Amino acid sequence: MKMVLSQRQREELNKAVADYLSSNGYTDALEAFKKEADMPGEVERKFGGLLEKKWASVIRLQKKVMELESKLNEAKDEIIDGAPTRNKRTPTEWIPRPPEKFCLTGHRAPLTRVIFHPVFSLMVSASEDATIKVWDFETGEYERTLKGHQDCVQDVAFDSSGKLLVSCSADMSIKLWDFQQTFECVRTMLGHDHNVSSVSFMPGGDFVVSSSRDKTIKMWEVSTGYCVKTYTGHRDWVRMVRASPDGSLLASCSNDQSVRIWVASSRECRAELRAHDHVVECLCWAPDTAAGPINEAAGADNRKGAHAGPFLASGSRDKTIRIWDVGAGIALFVLAGHDNWVRGVVFHPGGKFLVSASDDKTLRVWDLRNKRCMKTLEAHKHFCTCLDFHKMHPYVISGSVDQTVKVWECR
Amino acid sequence: MNLCKVPVPVDEGEGDNRWISIHNRFLTESKEKDADVIFIGDSIVQALQHTDVWNELFVPLHCLNFGIHRDKIENVLWRVQNGELDHVNPKVIVLHVGTNNYSNTPEEIKDGIVEIVDLIRQKHPNVYIVVPTLLPRGQQPNPVREKLLKVNELLPTAIDGHSKVEIVKIDNGFVRADGTISHHDMYDYLLLTNSGCKKAFEPVHDLLLQLLNEGETEKELELVYSE
Repeated sequence: MKMVLSQRQREELNKAVADYLSSNGYTDALEAFKKEADMPGEVERKFGGLLEKKWASVIRLQKKVMELESKLNEAKDEIIDGAPTRNKRTPTEWIPRPPEKFCLTGHRAPLTRVIFHPVFSLMVSASEDATIKVWDFETGEYERTLKGHQDCVQDVAFDSSGKLLVSCSADMSIKLWDFQQTFECVRTMLGHDHNVSSVSFMPGGDFVVSSSRDKTIKMWEVSTGYCVKTYTGHRDWVRMVRASPDGSLLASCSNDQSVRIWVASSRECRAELRAHDHVVECLCWAPDTAAGPINEAAGADNRKGAHAGPFLASGSRDKTIRIWDVGAGIALFVLAGHDNWVRGVVFHPGGKFLVSASDDKTLRVWDLRNKRCMKTLEAHKHFCTCLDFHKMHPYVISGSVDQTVKVWECR
Repeated sequence: MNLCKVPVPVDEGEGDNRWISIHNRFLTESKEKDADVIFIGDSIVQALQHTDVWNELFVPLHCLNFGIHRDKIENVLWRVQNGELDHVNPKVIVLHVGTNNYSNTPEEIKDGIVEIVDLIRQKHPNVYIVVPTLLPRGQQPNPVREKLLKVNELLPTAIDGHSKVEIVKIDNGFVRADGTISHHDMYDYLLLTNSGCKKAFEPVHDLLLQLLNEGETEKELELVYSE
C-alpha cells in the first residue's frame, strides 16, 4: 500500500531520522541529510529515540493484533454456544446477542428513531422518508404507515399508556397521533422556527417537550396544543430533550457541546454540563436500578459517600459516552470504545448495563460497574442511528442509515 | 483571458435544467448534513461515490460529495461562489477538477485550480484543502493526457506557500509500459472502476485519516509505548 504523510508528519519523520543518525554517530550522513532535507540547526530533544520507538511499536502492535484475533475467535465461539440459554438468563442479566431475529425493510430513507410500545408487542420507526411505520417485533410483521409529515421525521415517543404517539419533523411541526383506534393525526403543533430534532412526553402525559435547531426547547399542552413554556440558553442546535423520570427536570444536549439541566416548572437552567468536546447527540436518564453500578464505577473519586444522582448518560460525536451525576452537576466517568460518532444510548432496565448505537455501525453493551465494553454487535451495513431496549421483554431494536430496522433478542 | 477563472454556470443545451437542480440539492444538503469532509469537483468526484471504495473508506468519515459529471473549473468556481461551501464547517475539503478543461492550456488549468483553492481559503481560513493530482485519460497516449500531466507538474510550485493545502499524487500506476490505460482501471478510459479507485483514492483516504485524527494519534501511540 502506498503511504502518504501530511506535511507535519513528513517534517517529524525527517527530524526523527536526523536524531537517529546523530545518536548513532553517522555524522557524515547526518550532515548530508540535513543539507538535503533543508533542516539546519539542532534537532529538538523530543525527537530523541522516536524512530526506534515507532519501529518497535510495529512489533508490539503485531503481537497485540494476534492477541485480539484469538480473543475474537473466543468471542465468536461464545456467540454460538457460550451464552446462557433463553430460560436460564435472568431479566437483569440478558443482553442482545447476534444474529438479529428480524431485519425489517420498507423505509425508503435512513432511520432516525426506533421505539417500543409500552404495552403491546409493537414498535414504531421514524425515517427521513417522512413516514412513521408500525411493526410487530415478536412476529416481524409490518402493521401500518403513518403519513402526514412533509419532511424527515426526527423523533417519536409514546405516552405511558401507549394511547398517544407524538412525532416531530424537519418540517418544523410536532404531531400527535391517536394510537388506539384511528391511527390518524389528531393535532399539529407549530411554533418552532427550524427543524424539530426531538420530542417526548412528560411522565404525566399532559405535556410534551420538544427541542429544535432554533436553539430552544418548548413545552406543549397536549389537550389544547398550545406552547406553554420556552427554554432558552443553548447557543446552537438542540439535539435531544428528555424529562427525568419524576418529571421535575429536563435534560437537553446540543451542537454547542453542552448538556443542560432545566427545572421543568420554572424554565431555570439548573446546570450546564461540559466535558464532551464535540456535538452531544443523545441522552438517557438512568433508572433507579443503575445507581449501585454507577456508584461502584465512580468509586475512586467517591470519598464523600455515595453519589445521590439522578444520573444521566450522554453520547457524543467525540466517540465517547459520559455518565453524569445531575444532582451534583459533575461528570462521573467515560465509556470509550466506539470508533465513530455515538448516536444513541439506552440503559438496560436492570441497571447494570448500557447499550449504545454508533456510526461505527455497531451496537455496544457496556458493563457499567467495570466501565468496560463487554459486547460489540456488528449491527448494520451503515451508520447505526438509534436503538431502544424493551422495559420488560428481552428485545432490543436498532435503526440505521441502511434503511433497515433490526430486532435483537436478548439472552 | 483565462476562461478557467471566470465563474459560469453550465449552459444546459438539453433544456432539462439538471445541472442547476443538482446544485440546488447540494445547497440543501450542505445546510442539513454535518460533514467532516467535503469532496467537490468534476466527473471523477461524482463517479467516486458509486464505488465500493467510497462506501467502505469515505462514508464512515462523514463525507458529502459535490461532484458533477463534466464540470469544468469555471463551473466548480461558480458553484463555490454561489454557496455550496457557505453553510458547512468541514475539517477537510477535497478538490479534484480540471480533467474536463481540455481546451485550456496547462497554465490556465493550474491557475484555475489555484483560484478555487484561494476562494475556499477565503471562506474557510482553517480548513485543510486536499488536492489529488489529475488522472490520465484516454486508452492511447493523447494530447489531453500530456496536458493534464503538465498540470500535475506545475501544481506543487503553484501552491507553494499556501498553508494547509496538501497535494496527493494519485495518477501513478495507470499508464502501462505500452502507454495504454486498462479498462479494468478506467472502464471508459476516464472514470474509475472499483479497483482503479482503490489505487487512486486509498492514498487520499490515508491522508484524510491523518488530518482528521491530528492530535488524537499521539495519544494512541503513547498507549503502545507504555505497555
